[in-house]
Amino acid sequence: MLMQKVKKRMGPASPGYRVGSVPAAEATEQSQGGASSVVYQGATKRYGKSAVPAVDHLDLEVAAGEICVLVGPSGCGKTTSMRMVNRMVELTEGDILIGGESVKKRDAARLRREIGYVIQQVGLFPHRTIAQNIATVPQLLGWDKDRIRARTGELLELVGLDPELAGRYPVQLSGGQQQRVGVARALAVDPPVMLMDEPFGAIDPINRERLQNEFLRLQAEIRKTVLFVTHDIDEAIKMGDRIAIMHEHGRVEQYATPAEVLMAPANEFVEDFVGADRALKRLSLMRVGDIDLWRAPNARPGQSTAEVRAELDAPDVEVPYALLVDAQDRPQGWLTQRDLAGDTVPATADAPLGPVLETGDVMRDALADLLQGESMYAPVVDHGGRIVGVLSIEIISEFLGSPEAKTDEHSAVERPVEHPVERPHD
Amino acid sequence: MISALAGLPLAVGQVGEGFFKERNGSACVEHRSHLFCFEWAREHIGDYATPALQQLELVVISVLIGFAIAFALALLAHRFRYLEPPLLAGTGILFAIPSVAFFLLLLPITGRGRETAIIALSAYTLQIIYRNVMVGLHNVPESAKDAARGMGLTSRQLLWKVEVPLAVPEIVAGLRVAVVSTMAIATLAVFVHAGGLGEKIYGSGNLNFPTTIIIAGVIAIVMALLLDAVLLIGQHFATPWRRAAREATA
Amino acid sequence: MSQALLPHPLFAGFGGAFEFIFSRQTSNVTGGHKVGGIDQVLELALRQIEVSVVALALAMLVAIPIGLYLGHKGVGEALAIGLGNASRAVPELAAIALIAAVVGVGFWTLVIVLAVLGIPPILTNTFTGINQVDRPTIDAARGLGMSEFEILRKVEVPMAVPSVMGGIRTSSINIIATATIAPLAGVLTLGNFIINENVYGANGVLAGAIVVSIIALIFEFALAGLQRRLTSKGLRLQAQ
Repeated sequence: MLMQKVKKRMGPASPGYRVGSVPAAEATEQSQGGASSVVYQGATKRYGKSAVPAVDHLDLEVAAGEICVLVGPSGCGKTTSMRMVNRMVELTEGDILIGGESVKKRDAARLRREIGYVIQQVGLFPHRTIAQNIATVPQLLGWDKDRIRARTGELLELVGLDPELAGRYPVQLSGGQQQRVGVARALAVDPPVMLMDEPFGAIDPINRERLQNEFLRLQAEIRKTVLFVTHDIDEAIKMGDRIAIMHEHGRVEQYATPAEVLMAPANEFVEDFVGADRALKRLSLMRVGDIDLWRAPNARPGQSTAEVRAELDAPDVEVPYALLVDAQDRPQGWLTQRDLAGDTVPATADAPLGPVLETGDVMRDALADLLQGESMYAPVVDHGGRIVGVLSIEIISEFLGSPEAKTDEHSAVERPVEHPVERPHD
Repeated sequence: MISALAGLPLAVGQVGEGFFKERNGSACVEHRSHLFCFEWAREHIGDYATPALQQLELVVISVLIGFAIAFALALLAHRFRYLEPPLLAGTGILFAIPSVAFFLLLLPITGRGRETAIIALSAYTLQIIYRNVMVGLHNVPESAKDAARGMGLTSRQLLWKVEVPLAVPEIVAGLRVAVVSTMAIATLAVFVHAGGLGEKIYGSGNLNFPTTIIIAGVIAIVMALLLDAVLLIGQHFATPWRRAAREATA
Repeated sequence: MSQALLPHPLFAGFGGAFEFIFSRQTSNVTGGHKVGGIDQVLELALRQIEVSVVALALAMLVAIPIGLYLGHKGVGEALAIGLGNASRAVPELAAIALIAAVVGVGFWTLVIVLAVLGIPPILTNTFTGINQVDRPTIDAARGLGMSEFEILRKVEVPMAVPSVMGGIRTSSINIIATATIAPLAGVLTLGNFIINENVYGANGVLAGAIVVSIIALIFEFALAGLQRRLTSKGLRLQAQ
């Protein structure tokens, strides 16, 4: 709703985007007021007369509205590649197209006014207030004072800052706050492309995570084309719709979605760079509901214990414990031998439930919960609290090792939650 | 000599002939328009020894006194922050008053002579040195101070073992500026009868005689640069860690 | 001079000087001819101010553009700083005397000499002020789309104001001080009282010193105030 107001000012409303990646068919070359594609065509940068270029004929296509993360070890050319887009580094050979138009076509300063630029050290002007900092590019473009003031207010709200800070000076803000202002300043004229060079690198880990999450939330609303540079593979996996892993001289070893990079690294370099714990890293891309859960026999109060025992004794039982559920199928507790000693299932169970997981939980967090809890099995419920299945560490490790896991595409949000099915093997 | 260069084009025309024709010292002196009489200079160079030493003495004493006072004031302001602005303003006022005027303002109080000159010159150096000591102390990395406190150094040990040594480059920079500036100004000590090279310039009849002005000026400049070099070398030895850093990155 | 009873000679000395400033009087050395008085004092004071202001303006006109250019480009450090160091060593007395002896006397000759003496501090400080603006801030400014000139005007100059003003203040002090001995170069300023004691007497000498000091302090306060007005509040906060 906030963005509707903004878009009204900027021009015709851009097509609505779904939360999640933009399917290739819908991502156009240039969205009005929204985002533009960025295409590198043989982009090369050579310094002086050295034979070896800093960036060697880079070809890369970033679809409009996507976050493309350039990640790699220091000196690989990722920052240089990013800075070629707004001509802070001039191309020696090749070209870069923004929304189909070459960056060389216009005067560099004019070009940069339409590209958002966020750097690690923020670079706020200490002699200007926060509001004046944010107003920098609008002023360069000649906006009138009222428009600037209104836009500044919007932007402060957008990046989660108290509007009262507008009159303060940078030295009076914390590092995290300064970087938020940096992002607001970059977004001031709603540019179709954003360049971000390790923007959260100088922030402490707690605030870094917060800023990352907030930027993702922001991106879900405004959908810009973002070129994001980092040396941190975890940040790349978290932030990127697509990751370009660079080795040296800007050579891209793999350009794919985070899941692909984790599950099918293109070569040894990518494998090493991603790290030996890439299986664990994959877990942060999955949700509990994505895998086949096991099933524990459900028992209602008043049900005949003989039935329950029969289920428990069945040869193909997956979980050898019975779960007490209520009339709406919500788990109440685990039933012990004592509970099942009588004729009917009691109203309350002896053993507590332990951690209860939801199908929407991120798998990595679920694993942490499992490890911290004392039970082997954790009940998994849906959004209504109804039992759906049971998760255990064994299930997770089995799944990671299975051939099925290596081929499946896990798009965490779009995949519907499945009902538990038979275990693949005994 | 910057200002000499300004007048050089005009002077060259005047002096061209005489310069190369000059053979006899006394003939050169008679033609006072000559820019520089080598013969005369060679003959009379010994006359400049005493004034030069007088000036050197004035400068060294003044800078030492000025340094002692300014350093003490700076340590005070470092400890009691609220003193910083008034001290800066106070020393600034002393700095702004032209030295000639300062010399003369002191006349009724201290009379003519070296003491007057020394007081005025010391006052002049105060602001330069005070400012540099403050900046030097201010620029000591917080991490070093924090580590020192964490290791159990008292405030006094912190000051003398960590803060002051690290502030030395900045302090010496201030001393160098002070020394060079004071040497130039000390030429004016002649106005309070305190001696110095100013006497060679302002003494009887000398105002029309370029040679002596040039000699006096050059000697003053050379002394200033020598003192500057001495301080620079001194700093080099007082800060071995900087030498190491330079070697490491070379 | 008598050492006894310090306050007495003190007051006597200064008292006489103030009389000199405000009223014409007979000096005991000139044999009855009246000297001093407010109009003569003002005339010389105004001459000194005039020559100082013109020289300072000239120095600023030359030094600031060069300093801005070199500082922004990041070149010529040796020149900018070396010149500052070198000029500090020049004894003003020798400079004035030499120019008077070789080139001759005159208002504009004096102004040029003073301006040349005043250029180095302004040049050095302008250079370092601009040069030391930190790189990420400039990088951000360029990345936002400012042209080189806009970066200079909107970012570097405001941030360099304290340094540049410091240089101007130093120059002003040097110029006023040297203008005091301008009579040696034929331009009559307050130094006239000081140099010609046989005409104006001890009172005149002291009077000259007092008025020169007052003028110097007025300039200093005015420039300090100007600096305060021109420095952005953000920069002042940062310096704390």
